[in-house]
Amino acid sequence: MRRYIVQRILLTIPTLLGVATIIFVLMRVVPGDIVLLRYAGEGAFVTQETIVQERARLGLDQPLWRQFADWIWGAAQLDFGTSMWTGRPIVSEVALRFELSLQLAVMAVIIAALVAVPLGVLSAIKAGTSVDYLIRVFSILGLALPSFWVGIVLILLLLSVFHWSPPVTFTPLRVDLGENLSQLIWPALVVGYRYSAVATRMTRSAMLEVLREDYIRTARSKGLKESVVMVRHALRNALLPVITVFGLEFAFLLGGLVVTEQVFNLNGIGKLTVEAVVRRDYTMVQALVLLMASVFVLVNFLVDMAYAWLDPRIRFR
Amino acid sequence: MSLGSNGKSTRIWSGATAALLAFGLTALGACAQPAPAPAPAAPPTAAAEQPRAGGQLTFIVGAEPPSFDGHRETTFAMLHPTAPHYSLLLKFDQNKYPAIMGDLAETWSVSQDGLTYTFKLRDGIKFHDGAALTAADVKATYDRIVAPPQGVVSSRQASYAAVLEKVEAPDPKTVVFKLKQPSAALLSNLASPWNFIYKAQALAQEARFPEKNILGTGPFRFGEYVPGSHWTGTKNPDYFQKGRPYLDGFRAVFIREASAQVAAVRGGRAQIEFRGFTPPQREDLVKALGKDITVQESPWVCVLVVSMNTEKKPFNDPKFRRALTLALDRWEGSKALSQIAFVKEVGAVMRPGSPFAMPEQELTKLAGFGKDAAAAKAEARRLIQEAGVPEGFSFALTNRDIPMPYEPVAVFLIDQWGKVGLKVSQAVRESSPYLQDLRGGNYEAALDFNCDFMDEPDLQLIKFLPKEKSPINYGRYSDPVLDDLYTKQSLETNPERRKQLVWQFERRALDEMAYQFPTLWWQRIIPHSSQVRGWRITPSHYLNQDLTDVWLAEK
Amino acid sequence: MLRPAGAWAHRAAGATSPRTGWLRSFVRRQQLGAASGAVILLMALVALLAPLVAPHDPLETSFLLMLRPPSPEFPLGTDAFGRDVLSRIIYGSRTALLVGFSTSFVGSSLGTVIGVASAHFGGKTDLLAQRVMDIFLSFPLIILAIAVVAVLGTGVLNVIVAITVPIVPRVARVVRSSALAVREMPYVEAARALGASHRRIILRHMLPNVMAPSLIMLTAYLGQAILLEASLSFLGLGVAEPVPAWGLMLRGAGTQFIERAPWLAIAPGLAISSTVIAFNLLGDSVRDALDPKLRVA
Repeated sequence: MRRYIVQRILLTIPTLLGVATIIFVLMRVVPGDIVLLRYAGEGAFVTQETIVQERARLGLDQPLWRQFADWIWGAAQLDFGTSMWTGRPIVSEVALRFELSLQLAVMAVIIAALVAVPLGVLSAIKAGTSVDYLIRVFSILGLALPSFWVGIVLILLLLSVFHWSPPVTFTPLRVDLGENLSQLIWPALVVGYRYSAVATRMTRSAMLEVLREDYIRTARSKGLKESVVMVRHALRNALLPVITVFGLEFAFLLGGLVVTEQVFNLNGIGKLTVEAVVRRDYTMVQALVLLMASVFVLVNFLVDMAYAWLDPRIRFR
Repeated sequence: MSLGSNGKSTRIWSGATAALLAFGLTALGACAQPAPAPAPAAPPTAAAEQPRAGGQLTFIVGAEPPSFDGHRETTFAMLHPTAPHYSLLLKFDQNKYPAIMGDLAETWSVSQDGLTYTFKLRDGIKFHDGAALTAADVKATYDRIVAPPQGVVSSRQASYAAVLEKVEAPDPKTVVFKLKQPSAALLSNLASPWNFIYKAQALAQEARFPEKNILGTGPFRFGEYVPGSHWTGTKNPDYFQKGRPYLDGFRAVFIREASAQVAAVRGGRAQIEFRGFTPPQREDLVKALGKDITVQESPWVCVLVVSMNTEKKPFNDPKFRRALTLALDRWEGSKALSQIAFVKEVGAVMRPGSPFAMPEQELTKLAGFGKDAAAAKAEARRLIQEAGVPEGFSFALTNRDIPMPYEPVAVFLIDQWGKVGLKVSQAVRESSPYLQDLRGGNYEAALDFNCDFMDEPDLQLIKFLPKEKSPINYGRYSDPVLDDLYTKQSLETNPERRKQLVWQFERRALDEMAYQFPTLWWQRIIPHSSQVRGWRITPSHYLNQDLTDVWLAEK
Repeated sequence: MLRPAGAWAHRAAGATSPRTGWLRSFVRRQQLGAASGAVILLMALVALLAPLVAPHDPLETSFLLMLRPPSPEFPLGTDAFGRDVLSRIIYGSRTALLVGFSTSFVGSSLGTVIGVASAHFGGKTDLLAQRVMDIFLSFPLIILAIAVVAVLGTGVLNVIVAITVPIVPRVARVVRSSALAVREMPYVEAARALGASHRRIILRHMLPNVMAPSLIMLTAYLGQAILLEASLSFLGLGVAEPVPAWGLMLRGAGTQFIERAPWLAIAPGLAISSTVIAFNLLGDSVRDALDPKLRVA
C-alpha cells in the first residue's frame, strides 16, 4: 500500500513536467504578442522601438531555453513570478479566484450528488417503468441544453419574474453567507444539473449491473431487508464508477466553467484562464495550467484511494 | 418594421438637461430661491432640481485596467476606474463639447506667435497624501509624457514630442509650455483624459510609481481594488472645487459579458455603464424599467475602417479598391445596422457633425458615399472588370473576434460585396494575432478601427498617413501628397483654411486613391438609471469620467 | 464539457461475435434507439439535400426583412440581417453533423488504436503512452481550443481539431483497460505463442474485441461534440459568420435578441437539443445492444 502511494506520487512528476513543457511550447508557437496587444490593441500610436523595449523588459527577448529553465526552476520552488499583463504576483491573483471556483465546484458536486444518486437508484429499481422513463428524460435534457443558454434564460427569468438579479461581485462565504449564496447558487444549479445528468445515468447503469450480481441474490436469499441489500450491498458497489466520473469532473469544474463564469459574471479561474491566454500572458497561463493539471492529478489519486476503500477486491500491487 | 423609421429608439435627455439646468442655477447662486415656473421646453422633472449630496455610484467596466498608469495605458478599462482619482491641466466641458475648461488651470493665455502657452494654477490644490500641488508637478508630468525615462512607456508621446519644445515652472503657480511650431491642436491635447497630473516627488523616487499606486488630486480617494471584481473610491474632502464631489464614493464593478452587464443594470446591481450598449439592449432596458431608465445617445469618435493590403493583388489596383467602397450602400446600411448594432452615421475620415467634418453635399460626391446605390454598384462592377478581376473572385476579410460591432459590420460588407460578384469570407482572429497579421501585412482586406478621445484631424488622419509615419496604417502604401496635406493642416491655425485642407486629404485618401475607407461611424448609447444625474454623454467614452458633478437623485 | 466515460473503464469488454440480422434485432429490442437513429438519418438526409430542402438562400440578407416573426414565407422567422432562420437551421445541420461525426469518429479511432497498442505492447511502451495520455487529460480543453483557433483561425476544420484532440486520450484510456482484459484471453495468448506478428494480433484478435467500448464511446461523444461546438461559438472560438451554424445563431440570439425576437433563440436551441438527445438515446441503445450484461429484461 505505501509503496503504491509512493509510486503514484513519483509518477505525477513526469506528468506535470510534460504538461509544463507542452504549455510552454504551445504558448510560444501560438501567434500573438502581449506587448502588441497592450499598446496597439486600442489603436494607439506606439512605435516599434517601444514594443521592442517592452518585450525586453518582460524577458521575451531571452533565448527560449533560458526562459524555460527560469520558469521551471521557479515553479519547482513554487515561485511563479508576476503576471506579464498586470505585473502583480501570480499567486495572489490566482488565490483570489481560486476561492470562488473551489466553492462553486463543491456546490455543484453536492447538488449533483444529491440529485443523481437517489434518482439513479430509483431509476434502476424501477427500470422499464414510467418513473424510469421520466428520470431518464430529465437527465438527458440536462445533457442536451447548452449551459450558457440555460444560464442566460435563468437570469432572464429571475429578472422578469422577481425583478431581481444576482450580485455581480463575490462575497466570501465567511463574510456573508446569504450574499455569497445568492450569487453562487444559480450557477451551481445550472452546473449541478448538467453534472447530475451524467451521474444519474452512470448510477442507473451501474446499479442495474450490480443488481444482477450473485452476491445480491445471495444477500436477498439470506432474508436481508431489501433496504439493507440496496444500500449496503448494491449501492456501495455501484458507486465505484460514479465516483470516477465525479472525480474527473471535479477537476474539470475548477477550471472549465468558462462559459458559465462569463454568463453569471463570476470572477473565477476559468475567466482568468481565458483572459490570460487571450492576452498571451505567458507566465499566468503557465501557472494556471500547472495548477489545473495538479488538481487533476491529485483528484485522480484520491479517486483511486476511494476505490480501494469501497472495493476490498482491489489490491495494490 | 418600416425602413428608416427610428421611432423605436427612445431618447430621453431629461437627466442631462436637469443637470445642466441645476448646474447653471447653482452657479448663479439662485438655488436658495424657489424656481420660477419651468420653461416650456424643459421636461417636467428638470424643474430646478438641486443636486443632492451623498450616495454611492456603482458603474460597470467591461474590462480591467492592465496597470493604473494613464500615460502608459490605452484602454478605457484603465480610465473609468482611475479618472475620478486624478486631475488634468485642462478638461473638456461635458456641457459644451468640444469646448475646453480649466481643471487644475484657472486661466491661461497664448502668446501672439502661438509659441508660448502660460497657465495659472488654482489655489489650494492638494494631493491625497496632503502635499500641495505646484507647477513643478505639472512640469514633471509633461516631461514624463514627452520624454519618458528609461523603462517608462508613454503611449501618446508622438502627439506632444513633435510640437513641444519644453515645459517650464517659473513659479509654483505658473506653468509655461514652449512650442517648436504653432499647433492647432495643443490646447485640446492638454485636455487629454490620459494626462493625469502626477506628483513630481513620487515620480522622482520611482518613475513607474503610477503603475501600481494611485496618488492624485482628483475628487475621489482610492478605496480598494480587487482584481477581476471591483474598484472603489471615496469622496476627497480636500478637493479643490468646493462643494464637490456630490457622491460619497463610487464602486466600479468589472463585468465582461454584455448580457450580464444589461442584467446588472436591469436588476439594479449597477446604475450605469459608460462605454455603450446596443440598440436592442437599450430597448429591452427601456421596456423593462420604463421611467427608471434614462437614455443618452451621442455620435461616437470611433469608426470601423476597411483596410486593404496594397502590396497584394488585386488590392494594389486603385480601381479595385474604389470598386470595393463603391459597392457599399452606406445610407441604407445605416438604417438597417443602426437597429441591431451601435453604428449609425455615414461619414468620411472626420466624424459627421464634428467641426471639421465634410457637409453632406460634399460627402456624397465621394466614391461609395453617394445616394444612388444602384449606379454605384454598376460602376463598381465595371471597375472590377476593368481591373481584370474575374466574376466570383474570392478573398478573406480579416476581422477581430469582438462581436460588437465588428461582426454585424462584416456581415454587411460581405453581403454588399456579394452583390457586385465578389465572394468574401470572414477570417475572425483573436485580438493579438489580428494585430500581428495587420502589422505584418499578412492579410488581404481587414476590418480595422480608428477610435480617439476627441474630434481632431491630427488624430483621425494619422490612420491614413504613409506607413513610415504611422504605425497604425496597415495599408502598406506611401503617398507624399497625403503626407504634405497632413503637415499643412496641422500647422494651419485658421479653422476655415484648415477645414479645406482636411477635406482635400479625405478626397485624396478615400476617393482618388481609395487606400482605406470608413464603414459607418459608431453611435454611443448609454441607458442608465434615472437616479444618475449630472453626467452628460460626450462623443468619446474616454472623456468626462472624473465624476465631479455626478449626483444621485432619490429613488 | 467533455464527459469522460469512466464507467466503462473498469469493465472488461464481453467478447461479442458479429451477428447476422443485427439491424432487425436492434430495431426490435431498442425501439427508442431505433427511432433516434431514424431521426438522425433524416437529419443527415436534410443536411445532404440542403439546397433542395431549404426555402431560401441561408446567406441572403435583406434590410427590409429584419427580425420578422414566423410567417408562412419564413416559417421560423428571420434574423437580424433578414436571413431566413429555417434555411440557416437546415444548412447549419451540415456544420453540426460534420463536426459531430468527424470529431467522434477520428477521436475514437485514434484513441482505440493507441489504447489497443498500449495494452498489447505493455511494459515501457504502455507506461509512456499512459503518461502522455495523462498529460493530455489534465490539459484544460479551453486553452487547447484557443490555441487551435489562434494558429489556424476560426472555421469548421479548426473546431474539429479543437474538439478531437481531447477525445483521443479519453477513449484511449477506456479502450486500454478493455484491451488489457482481452490480452489475457486464451486465444490471444495462443496466437502470441504461435509467433503471430504484432500487426496480426492487434488487427485480427484485439481490435475486433474492443469494438464494443469503442463504438459506445463514439456514439456518446457525437452529441457532446455538437454541444461543445455551440459553447466554442459562444466564446467566439467556433465558426465565423456568415457560415450558418447553430451555436453561432444561438450566441447572437442569446446575448442580443432574446426578448425582442425569441424565435431566433428557440429554433437553434431546439435543433441542438433534439440532436443531442437523439445521439444520446442512440448511444444508450448501442451500449445496451453491445453489452449483454446490461440488457434490461
